[in-house]
Amino acid sequence: MSDKPNKLIEKGKRLDGRKVDELRPIKMEVGVLKRADGSCYMELGGNKAIAAVYGPRAVHPRHLQEATQVIIRYRYDMASFSVKERKRPGPDRRSIEISKVSREALAPVILKEYFPRSVIDIFVEILQADAGTRTVGINASSVALADAGIPMRGIVSSCAVGKVDGEIVLDLTGQEDNYGEADMPIAMTQDGKITLLQMDGHLTKEEFAQAIELAKKGCKQIYEVQRSALISKYEGVSNV
Amino acid sequence: MKLVIPGDLLSDDVKRAGEGTYVTSGEVHASVYGILDQKELRVIPLSGKYMPHTGDNVIGKVVDISFSNWIIDINSPYEALLHISEHPDRIYPFDMGQHLDIGDLFIAKVKDVDATMRVELTVETFNPLRGGRLIQISHTRIPRVIGRGGSMINLLKKELDCNIFVGQNGRIWVNGKEDNMDLAIQTLLKIEQESHTPGLTDIVRDMIKNAKREKGK
Amino acid sequence: MSEDIIAEIKRDYIYNLAKNGKRVDGRAFDEYRQIEVETRIIGNAEGSAKVKIGNTQVVVGVKIQPGKPFPDTPDQGAIITNAEFAPIASPSFEPGPPDENATELARVVDRGVRESGAIDLAKLCITEGEDIWMVFIDVYVLDHDGNLVDASALGAIAALLNTKLPIVRYKLGTEDVPLPISDLPVAITAADIDGEILLDPSLDEELIASTLITIITGKDGSLAGIQKSGMGPLTFDQIFHITDLAYKKAKDIREKYLEIVDDQSREEGKKD
Repeated sequence: MSDKPNKLIEKGKRLDGRKVDELRPIKMEVGVLKRADGSCYMELGGNKAIAAVYGPRAVHPRHLQEATQVIIRYRYDMASFSVKERKRPGPDRRSIEISKVSREALAPVILKEYFPRSVIDIFVEILQADAGTRTVGINASSVALADAGIPMRGIVSSCAVGKVDGEIVLDLTGQEDNYGEADMPIAMTQDGKITLLQMDGHLTKEEFAQAIELAKKGCKQIYEVQRSALISKYEGVSNV
Repeated sequence: MKLVIPGDLLSDDVKRAGEGTYVTSGEVHASVYGILDQKELRVIPLSGKYMPHTGDNVIGKVVDISFSNWIIDINSPYEALLHISEHPDRIYPFDMGQHLDIGDLFIAKVKDVDATMRVELTVETFNPLRGGRLIQISHTRIPRVIGRGGSMINLLKKELDCNIFVGQNGRIWVNGKEDNMDLAIQTLLKIEQESHTPGLTDIVRDMIKNAKREKGK
Repeated sequence: MSEDIIAEIKRDYIYNLAKNGKRVDGRAFDEYRQIEVETRIIGNAEGSAKVKIGNTQVVVGVKIQPGKPFPDTPDQGAIITNAEFAPIASPSFEPGPPDENATELARVVDRGVRESGAIDLAKLCITEGEDIWMVFIDVYVLDHDGNLVDASALGAIAALLNTKLPIVRYKLGTEDVPLPISDLPVAITAADIDGEILLDPSLDEELIASTLITIITGKDGSLAGIQKSGMGPLTFDQIFHITDLAYKKAKDIREKYLEIVDDQSREEGKKD
């Protein structure tokens, strides 16, 4: 990582030219994998990730199955080359924690009672990491679940907010995360229920409230991208 | 035609809520990604696994035989059971394999599905499918294979001179002359691929015509 | 299990077509599915490539960092190849450490790169006996629709072709230089289906093939690696037929997908 710059925000502009309440550029594509039941590719700034959904399918081993509802598994994984220093392939403490909270971010919207005794597997592969990977994973997974035809109450959208140079900002870069004062990833449903909330750093109560408001704005924008990605998969479909 | 995604508000007439929707605080929302059928207030999914319903005609494959059940793969997250008592004669558990053996494909009807998705099948005959070819496509495309009032499937049967059985679980069995079977499978895979293209019946009719002309050369 | 069922369901269809010289997707026996090679897709990697062969997709990232040499080769760089069958790629892939298939894939890719002499390891020595460059080739399978070996091997060499040694980052100089590449190995995989030899098997073909065989050849047409994978035996005639086919096909693929990448890399190398 480069050394700490003097200022991360100058005259209301961040180092990459964004305003404090602006997301990085987003690209999203649905149905990118043939074998998966549902899939989604997402870029957010320098992040590149693929989410795939398999299921509902039979649970092995059988003792894990639940008689009245589907179980959800989520595996977040970073490719060895996704970061500057090669990462050893496979899970570590960080990815295990992210997998857990991401699963919990998505599970509440899935209509689990439709598929007793089965499992839905959500797999996320981070091909390139650039701060905010867990939010990218959740956004792509939410769309992949819809693509797989899984019944849900709605789409989950996620973004990070934080505090940098004393200001509340949306969608932190790696540098802002490293040298800023706080980082807070959030996921929420369209109707404003928070399903993921983590924070590290330091925020006053007022700043926290302000950050939540900004996160709502960010998630709404993400939602519009998710929606149009799904709709455009079948664009041109006119007669059924 | 309108595409909807999970969570979309569809109506406030909760009495009309159909398949692919859910009701919350007096509103009907879409629960799946698919095509909205305004008339029935339901969402027709574009993807997803086959979920058996009582009365469905399916093509099953025997994957195991237990003491009193044949265990059947029906291209679903759930295996189905065919109980020994479904056989018209009194047969012994150790003879079950002689009637339907592991690996056999056969036509069945879903007899019952309970709340925990335990699926029971029944059959008209215990004859496994012999000869012919089987393909598997997404079950969501089956309505297109059949067509309005059976228009597509009747076209295929007539033009290709094949016997075709369409299972609601996405498996289709075709029997006829070699060349006709190859063409039938090609055509069915095309229907799966282009199932949302308008005027599909005409495209398919032309495709078969061209293929026949090619062969005639 | 359902994967096996699908293959079995299609078995007769595939066999029957093969007997008549045909394949399910209409290809000739020696014809590949559409190949796409995209390079420099991972900014954090020193080299990268995404390869698609039909629906099969792999991403290969090359990471390079200084390390200690092996005691028996104190003046040579090291190649470490790993393959991850990411569970996103197939309903039959499960999370966990590489299984025997992933390990076999990694070793076959490694063999092609190593034995063809594609990387001049002597040029990767920083200080003899002390520091060398370690080349990590990481293959991630994204979508498995058959013939992972050819896609991975092509991805590996395409990624190596746009790899630069991170000299500046490790403060070993003022300019990053391209990794020296001296050969372009290409893997060609054939499947034996009821005695017929088909190149670039799709997953359905792979699942019912009695055996697969991969032949890796270098620029001069010499063999750099072979791997027979599967239970079925092959005759001598079949093997000579396959090596013949492999040599010709490898040449085509090399010309079409690698020499272009090679030229591009040099051009861009000059610019930087």
